[in-house]
Amino acid sequence: MEVSVIRSCSQATNPKTELGFSDSRFSFGKFNEKLFSRKPNSVSFESPLRRGKSGLRITAQAAQSDRLPKSKSSTKSKTLNRIRLFAGLPLDVVSGGTVNQFRAISAGLKALKLLGLEGVELPIWWGVVEHESMGKYNWSGYLTIAEMVRKAGLKLNVTLCFHASSQPKIPLPEWVLDIGKTKSNIFFKDRAGKPYRGCLSLAVDELAVLNGKTPMEVYQDFCESFKSAFSAFIGSTITGITMGLGPDGELRYPSHRGFAKSGTVPGAGEFQCYDKNMLHLLKQHAEACGKPKWGLGGPHNAPAYSELPTANTFFKDHGGSWESPYGDFFLSWYSSQLIAHGDRLLSLASSVFSDSAVNIFGKVPLMHSWHGTRSHPSELTAGFYNTATRKGYKEVAEMFARNSCKIILPGMDQSDKYQLKESLSSPELLLAEIGTACNKHGVRISGQNSTVGAPDGLKQIKKNMLSENLNDSFIFQRIGAQFFAPEHFPLFIEFVRKLNQPEPHSGNLPTKEGTTTATDSVHTRSNLSIHMQSA
Amino acid sequence: MAAVTIDSLLQNPTLLFRPKAKVMLKPPRSLDCSRNRKLPLSRGSCFCSFNPRRTIHVVRASSSETALIGNFDTSSSDDIFYKDIFPVKRIEKVEGKFFIRLDRSKDQHDWQLTVGCSLPGKWILHWGVSYLGDSGSEWDQPPKGMRPPGSIPIKDYAIETPLKKLSEGDIFHEVKIDFNPSSEIAAIHFVLKDEETGAWYQHRGMDFKVPLVDYLEDDGNTVGAKRGFGVLSGALQQFSNVLLKSEASHADSQNNSIESKDSKNKNRCLEGFYEEQSIVKEVSVGNLVSVAVRKSPETGKVIVCLETDIPGDVVVHWGVCRDDAKIWEIPAAPYPPETTVFKNKALRTLLQPKATGNRSGALFTLDEEHFGFLFVLKLDDNTWLKFKENDFYVPLLGTSSVPGQYGQSDITTEEISSKSYTDGIINEIRNLVSGLSSEKSQKTKTKEVQESILQEIEQLAAEAYSIFRSSITTVPEEVVSETETTKPAVKISSGTGTGFEILCQGFNWESHKSGRWYMELKEKASEISSLGFTVIWLPPPTESVSPEGYMPKDLYNLNSRYGTIAELKELVKSLHEVGMKVLGDVVLNHRCAHFKNQNGVWNIFGGRLNWDDRAVVADDPHFQGRGNKSSGDNFHAAPNIDHSQEFVRKDLKEWLGWLREEIGYDGWRLDFVRGFWGGYVKDYLEASEPYFAVGEYWDSLSYTYGEMDHNQDSHRQRIVDWINATNGTAGAFDVTTKGILHSALERCEYWRLSDKKGKPPGVVGWWPSRAVTFIENHDTGSTQGHWRFPGGKEMQGYAYILTHPGTPAVFYDHIFSHHRSEIANLISVRNRNGIHCRSLVKIVKAERDVYAAIIDEKVAMKIGPGYYEPPSGSQRWSLALEGRDYKVWETS
Repeated sequence: MEVSVIRSCSQATNPKTELGFSDSRFSFGKFNEKLFSRKPNSVSFESPLRRGKSGLRITAQAAQSDRLPKSKSSTKSKTLNRIRLFAGLPLDVVSGGTVNQFRAISAGLKALKLLGLEGVELPIWWGVVEHESMGKYNWSGYLTIAEMVRKAGLKLNVTLCFHASSQPKIPLPEWVLDIGKTKSNIFFKDRAGKPYRGCLSLAVDELAVLNGKTPMEVYQDFCESFKSAFSAFIGSTITGITMGLGPDGELRYPSHRGFAKSGTVPGAGEFQCYDKNMLHLLKQHAEACGKPKWGLGGPHNAPAYSELPTANTFFKDHGGSWESPYGDFFLSWYSSQLIAHGDRLLSLASSVFSDSAVNIFGKVPLMHSWHGTRSHPSELTAGFYNTATRKGYKEVAEMFARNSCKIILPGMDQSDKYQLKESLSSPELLLAEIGTACNKHGVRISGQNSTVGAPDGLKQIKKNMLSENLNDSFIFQRIGAQFFAPEHFPLFIEFVRKLNQPEPHSGNLPTKEGTTTATDSVHTRSNLSIHMQSA
Repeated sequence: MAAVTIDSLLQNPTLLFRPKAKVMLKPPRSLDCSRNRKLPLSRGSCFCSFNPRRTIHVVRASSSETALIGNFDTSSSDDIFYKDIFPVKRIEKVEGKFFIRLDRSKDQHDWQLTVGCSLPGKWILHWGVSYLGDSGSEWDQPPKGMRPPGSIPIKDYAIETPLKKLSEGDIFHEVKIDFNPSSEIAAIHFVLKDEETGAWYQHRGMDFKVPLVDYLEDDGNTVGAKRGFGVLSGALQQFSNVLLKSEASHADSQNNSIESKDSKNKNRCLEGFYEEQSIVKEVSVGNLVSVAVRKSPETGKVIVCLETDIPGDVVVHWGVCRDDAKIWEIPAAPYPPETTVFKNKALRTLLQPKATGNRSGALFTLDEEHFGFLFVLKLDDNTWLKFKENDFYVPLLGTSSVPGQYGQSDITTEEISSKSYTDGIINEIRNLVSGLSSEKSQKTKTKEVQESILQEIEQLAAEAYSIFRSSITTVPEEVVSETETTKPAVKISSGTGTGFEILCQGFNWESHKSGRWYMELKEKASEISSLGFTVIWLPPPTESVSPEGYMPKDLYNLNSRYGTIAELKELVKSLHEVGMKVLGDVVLNHRCAHFKNQNGVWNIFGGRLNWDDRAVVADDPHFQGRGNKSSGDNFHAAPNIDHSQEFVRKDLKEWLGWLREEIGYDGWRLDFVRGFWGGYVKDYLEASEPYFAVGEYWDSLSYTYGEMDHNQDSHRQRIVDWINATNGTAGAFDVTTKGILHSALERCEYWRLSDKKGKPPGVVGWWPSRAVTFIENHDTGSTQGHWRFPGGKEMQGYAYILTHPGTPAVFYDHIFSHHRSEIANLISVRNRNGIHCRSLVKIVKAERDVYAAIIDEKVAMKIGPGYYEPPSGSQRWSLALEGRDYKVWETS
């Protein structure tokens, strides 16, 4: 196929674009991005400069944004072109060092490549790699995947999962669980003292509870081992690393245990400050504040997991304890512990990978139920001190900005109209709030859909990715039978096309003289095709 | 002996339907027996090759994969550290006879040319004549009187006449052309075409020419020169014995003899002759070679297990290698039985037939230290099967030390092939289309590429889906219910309805005759509904050139031989009242024209949709369409609609919407969907949002030597491909199941009812929710009887489809016959036990004379004269129904 045919208008507007797609995209990108930024809130583009100690590169937008300047005449939907699309590989794609469903994965990768996706997301489990004993890593299956992805010409965003998965069942490493059998206080505990074995309590981050090492040290060793094992891929195939931050990899407390049955109103969730070490920290903090009595336990009048917020007085809309000085004391402490934990892990990742050309991500949950109340109980129990009267995501965004990390926001497929009325839930408002906080701090957002799925989800995703947030990429969760099913996959194809295609027909984009011969007939070619070229 | 050789290349007119065709954007190749080609004698040349598009076919291969591997020594399957299935393609030659006879017809006045062929296939004689004194070399249309019935004119120079079997028992398909020798016709020219494979059978690169008059005035040289051929095109001589004699001689000399004969041609008067030649059709056959490697825990040796379903003697030519260089070496003994050493370089082992199935295989026990196992397969002296021109290679290392080894080594072989393939695609993908709507400005070629890429993506997705799905079924139900994903209750989709539908075909081929079918059916509405049917399929409603309705003309005129539009509405209303959904039979593939164009060709439409010839596909010469080429097969009797035209699609969508709105149809039965791309169907269905839709994708099953193949995967794959192209928005009639039931019941070969994986062998085994199973319809049965279900065995057929997954359809004639109560009983068993289109079927017996299955662990059934009783285990089975050669039980 002749080159002339493939050149789309948008590309032709800037002859540099093709270079931008080569490996040198990063350097080109930054330059152009700053120079030609046209976003209304162009403050955001300062973010690349705001490097942390890590010196990470935060500018993956190069190739797309560098053709923005010339296309001023085009519409706002043009921004869609910047969204790099990933798809998550199955959670259990590797088990015991081997790749499951090898052929399916390999066919799937080819399909995704042909479809023009940027890459795939690969969950790497602590419980798989460091399964047997501390410091003994088995990367083999994951290396195979990385090689497959490389050969398919795709990029890889790796998620380091320091948590467990319930379905498919992927527990924490055996040796960690063994330690937990005797020392259950390495896990979060709820008011009833029931431990959560899905991840370690953030209170032990810096306590030497794992065979004389602290969890932070163990996480660090894991990252270092990963880095050396994948050195051939990092910066080339692997362009992003997501640091697992807690339950389901998200920065939060396991305030909701088990799954809410669909169609039922989720409860408020429970505070998770009852393991020995959390209680100890709380006590210390209370004493330091001169309120030793406040440090004896969590709020006594908070409802249980599945109870409605109104079942007790803590979250009451008016006059609830959350608004009291005690409430503020507790919630401030509770949320700051979480943010400090996130900070520890993200700065760890930043420093380990400081010399690698990768983006570091962390995932923040979308605790959208009860967002319509004043107290936002779900957010509070999960560790986000965000209420009708206090903007709580500011600190979170700051923390991400400090570490030059990007934020992953799940739940982009959720829309308000499909929420249960009774749950006073508003994913859209919450998303907008977090988005605003991120924009303010120049934190780029990578979207994800929720694992539960949502009606009209793809439409909602598109809408969200269109928003004025600093959208960076989208990770679609996840491939598998359902994903490729005839009921779903065609919709996904459609989605990809739409996401990458300027909605209003931007057929009359200016073209640069001499660079085009056949552009008029192919102007609707979008990123979809452009990605192909870069292969 | 092979005087005419045929390479049947799978040229594929339905370019967009089949993945194979995508690389073949070239025009169809017509091969011939040109002189330059080495004429294969016996199985001389080797056309075997590893399928280069391997990745695509894995879907198919994988479906049989587990079955093959499963047969390996299952006791120790845990130790298997490598296994792979190599799909291989080989060319199987089917030999037959082909004859040309010229003789006087009975009245001794006229003459008759008969051409016949004994090979199975859809044979078409593509022919024309030349007239005396013709200066040009072009063919002409023969006079009307000469054309046998069923002939179709091709442009202005040729006729296509199908070869037919005169009676069932006949070996030959033949065609007879009567002509008057005193006419001006100088010669009859023809080539033979196999519509099934698209291959052209010519004579040495030219047409066959039967001269009817003296050749002197039109001597070889002149004709040859005019036609641009070195030699005169008239190859066939009047003397039958020439070729018969030469059959025994060498091919080259045979050619010579013909040529010399050409030049010696001096006959002045017409003489009868009979000429018979061998004809070889090369059918490409897919087989699998499966290899598994395991380590024997006792001896520490490595055991390579090789198995294949290639019939006949298969010799493995094998060796081992020490490293990546893959240099062949002979390993130490012991060797498997029937092993010989070949020139100190390799070993040759004859595969031993397996006890079960028609497979053969061998076990190779090797020392641990070998790096790899190399082999090629030898089918006979000249036929070798290789892996893409290379040796098959099986890595032997990786037993314990490097866990990732298998995966990685596997990639290197597989990825390389796919990489180069992907690269090729990527070169073209740049034009990936961004939606049907924006296609119109594209050149057709770009569009094809785009569509093929999309299809490619869909194929890959389908492959991934099938593998993921198959592994999901092992997850116990309760685990799923615990997960966050809660399945929506009953979801209605156009491909399946609720999933519990039972279809009634509400007419037969004669229904138009009374002129008031709608009214007659209306009286039966409640009766049909009470039998348990949920959906009824009504006859095509439009004005039609043929009374049955399948030659539509004005789509908006719904007054037909079945009744008026008012009556139709009344009928639909009554059917709705009794709780049935109504399917309209819509003919979208073709439409009869109202007017002739300036050339006198009927291709201008009237009525509300007054399209011109741009709405007609360009590749059907009869109708001189100015549209694009057809995206499917052509239906020759009427102008085929070009669905790539946006205005056509828009009009058709509007029409379907109107039918939904105005008449109240709930869904569609789509006629002859082979004729156009399934993607358009998707478009139509999305626009008309039917409750249920089913397409008629009817093509022939695979036969070898007139006997139906056990494996009909390629047949059902074509149907599945079509469903896939519609994105699953439509189901399709499960023609595969009907065909297999024919053979199974007629010949008492009930083993056919289980495929290699132990699943139903029809579409219903692969995509049950989209399979509409049936045993008869207005074409196959009724008064047409094109493909009638074995007589007296209909109830066995219904016992099968009404207990199995899929959406069963019952033919009108069977409902209103003595079968009625039995059918009603089967339907009530189905409904009572909640069997639906996705029910799980476990085949418990598939033997010569009996087939038995248990469905959803609630219903057991058997058909066939053989014995079967459901197991007396934890479930208590009680007999629910019994009839001639079938029984159905349910749990009590």
